[in-house]
This record gives sequence, structure tokens and C-alpha cells, in this order.
Amino acid sequence: MTAMDDDRVFKALADPTRRYLLDRLYERDGRTLTELESALEMTRFGVMKHLKVLEDAGLVVTRRSGREKLHFLNPVPIRLIHDRWIDKYTERRVSALADLKTQLEETG
Amino acid sequence: MTTMTQNITQVYQLFIKATPEQIWEAITTPEFTQRYFHGARITVTPESYRSLAPNDDVWGDDAVLEFEPPHRLVHGWRSLYSPELAAEETSRVTWEIDPQDGGYCSLTVTHDQLEGAPKTAASVSGAGWMMVLSGLKTLLETGKPLTG
Repeated sequence: MTAMDDDRVFKALADPTRRYLLDRLYERDGRTLTELESALEMTRFGVMKHLKVLEDAGLVVTRRSGREKLHFLNPVPIRLIHDRWIDKYTERRVSALADLKTQLEETG
Repeated sequence: MTTMTQNITQVYQLFIKATPEQIWEAITTPEFTQRYFHGARITVTPESYRSLAPNDDVWGDDAVLEFEPPHRLVHGWRSLYSPELAAEETSRVTWEIDPQDGGYCSLTVTHDQLEGAPKTAASVSGAGWMMVLSGLKTLLETGKPLTG
């Protein structure tokens, strides 16, 4: 994943409506635009714009099923961000605590 | 897991810096799959998708429904590694490899027809496929497996 892809994912997540849409898809995947907009007090065009941002970030993938366009949550970009950012910093904090413990035990 | 319809179609998409041929090879040859697919040695021919455990147990033995190297592979899925999951109906896995600009490919994995396999759906969703796919990406981009 390139830095530019990371930017898109962070920007897509930096909006409560888009996070809400992801949560809706997490509850039940493969929804139509009509289903997704019914839960929001927003115009159809507004919801479409948010979905487009999520799609560009790779967080939502669409599939045609007959005449319908279904939206699926794609969890992979969040996983990659987790691997790249969250793991890295939490690991360091944990190992810092482990070092502190060792140090205290040695001097104590 | 709140509704009946959840997870019967699962879609995973990622971008990998590799050629379609490299990705195809990594999906269809046992030397590659054993380095990212829970150690499974998977052999794919135009007719069959066969997966062997490190101890030679059969983890998967399904029909190949579409075989179009290096862009599209569709095969059946039954989780033979668990008696409980193996008792469920066969589901379907589709691999799509699409070249993008800049030496990347998008790889989209769709696991569907899971209506008759709710336990399999729960077991492969989320971390299941993601560990496999992020391992595949890491292996192709760095030459090293994600874990171990």
C-alpha cells in the first residue's frame, strides 16, 4: 500500500457519516443505495458522494446483481493500516514497559 | 452475526505490486501457497482445486468452475479441515486479477454462495481471509512470508 492509499483511507474514515455507512455494512453486507440512504437524513446524492469516497479508498467494493448495485465492506485496507500503524506503535509501548520492568527488577 | 443474511457474500480487495502472472502463480502453485495459506499446499488445474495440509491431510478438494490464467479463477469451497464445517454445503470462491497503472494489480476475492454454510461463513470472514490475503501481498512484494 502506498502513502497515497493510506491518505485516502484516513480521509475516508475522517467523517462520521462515512463511518456510519461502514458500520451499517458491517452489520449486514451487500446493501443497495436505497437501503443505505433510508437510515440517513441526507439526500440520495449526498449518500452517493460519501459512498464514492469510500469506494475510491477501497473500503467499499460494489457488485452488480441483476439490476441492482450492491455495496460490500472491504476490510482489507483497514487491516493493512492496522498492521502498518497500530501494531507498530502498540508493540513499541509494550516493549518499553517490558524494558522498564526489567530495569526496575534489576536495580531493585 | 446479527442477521441471517450476513456474510453470505464476502468481498475482499487489495492492491499488490506484482504482475498478473506472478499473482496467478502464487495462487495456484503449492510452493507459494504453503508460505501464506496456513501452510496449505494448493494445486489448481483447469479441473480441480486441491489443498493439502502440512501433514498431508486433505484440507480442500473441489471443482474448478472457471480457469482463465492469469485473470480469473472460480472454484468450489468446502472446509475439509474441520468435520463440522465439512458437513456444510459447498460455497464458491472467485479470484479476479486486474492490472492497474503503475505496476500494480487489484486482486478481488469474492467468497459467496454461503447460504448453506453459515459456520464456514463465520469462520472465513474477517481475519480468516485477511490473514491469507495480507500474507500473499507481503510474500509477493517482499519475498518473505508475513509470519514465521
